[in-house]
Amino acid sequence: MGGGGGGLAAAPKVKRGSFATVRKKKKRVGFVLDMTPLVDIAFLLLTFFMLSTTLTTPQTMEMSVPPETENVEVKQSELLTVLVRDDGQIFKFIGDKKTNPPEKVNLKDIRALSVNENMRLENKLILSLRISNKVPYGMVINLLDELNIAETEITQRLTVKGMKRERKFALTPLTDEDKADLKDL
Amino acid sequence: MSKIKKKRVGFVLDMTPLVDIAFLLLTFFMFTAKFKSDTENEQKFQIQRPRASADTSKVPEKDLAMIKIGIDTVTNDTAYYYSLSNEQDRKVVYNSDKVQLSDEARQKVILKVTDLKVLEALLKQTRMANLRMKFAIDADRRVQYKWIEDLTNVMRLSNATVFNFVTDRPS
Repeated sequence: MGGGGGGLAAAPKVKRGSFATVRKKKKRVGFVLDMTPLVDIAFLLLTFFMLSTTLTTPQTMEMSVPPETENVEVKQSELLTVLVRDDGQIFKFIGDKKTNPPEKVNLKDIRALSVNENMRLENKLILSLRISNKVPYGMVINLLDELNIAETEITQRLTVKGMKRERKFALTPLTDEDKADLKDL
Repeated sequence: MSKIKKKRVGFVLDMTPLVDIAFLLLTFFMFTAKFKSDTENEQKFQIQRPRASADTSKVPEKDLAMIKIGIDTVTNDTAYYYSLSNEQDRKVVYNSDKVQLSDEARQKVILKVTDLKVLEALLKQTRMANLRMKFAIDADRRVQYKWIEDLTNVMRLSNATVFNFVTDRPS
């Protein structure tokens, strides 16, 4: 009887217990949210911003021109003249063009030329650039870029020697006389 | 029968990392994005900048006077285009009596200048209006050097002796 009673008493207990465990298991651990539209919009915006941005920002090359009044006397032996003819051909001469006639140079050799001449005359060299006004601007920038690259090397080499680099540089138009000189070269 | 019923209808893939990265990139591009300014909206030409590898400095954003030399895509003619980044300075300079401009031109953001005298007056007024003004020349690499030479001469006359050439990094 006791067992039966126990069985009877136990039966509801088990029922209750089982009921309770079902309820406990039903407690939500997380919830599911459909993220598809969110992700769609996110990717749409992402592609839009990716395509609309330009990552390459323009750079600048600093230049300066001397004020109008300035007139500097230059020693001819310290002068390196680089000339650019109408067709873009580059020439150079050192000092006086009568004793040192202009020679053809390639754009690639400008860097080495500038470094060598500057090291020979350590800070005294004056570079005079005479550019024909018919040359495309891009070509002029390429030439200036080569000189700027050379400049970093010159500065480095001079600091090793304990000197401070002073750049002397002039940008002037190509004269008719120069044009006549370069015509047959 | 039971085998056919066992076929998977869908599968679950954890998209959380993907969405994380997507949002990271999204915010990055959103913050770095720059939209076209008024100046660029008015311009009818595309500038092919010259390439230079030695330059490292960036174009200043404030107090900038930009002189563009562009080739018009339709008419194929070259002209100077003048613009100022600062709206207040722009009003002062464009409306100055010393600059000869049509009333219509004074309302514009970007000025097309073909006369060097006008350009000189503009540069002088700009220098007067704001001494901290920096000058930048943004020219197409195909234009003849004559345009740059004329411009630098005018700048020298207006005492704007330091300026920047805008270039692009070689790709």
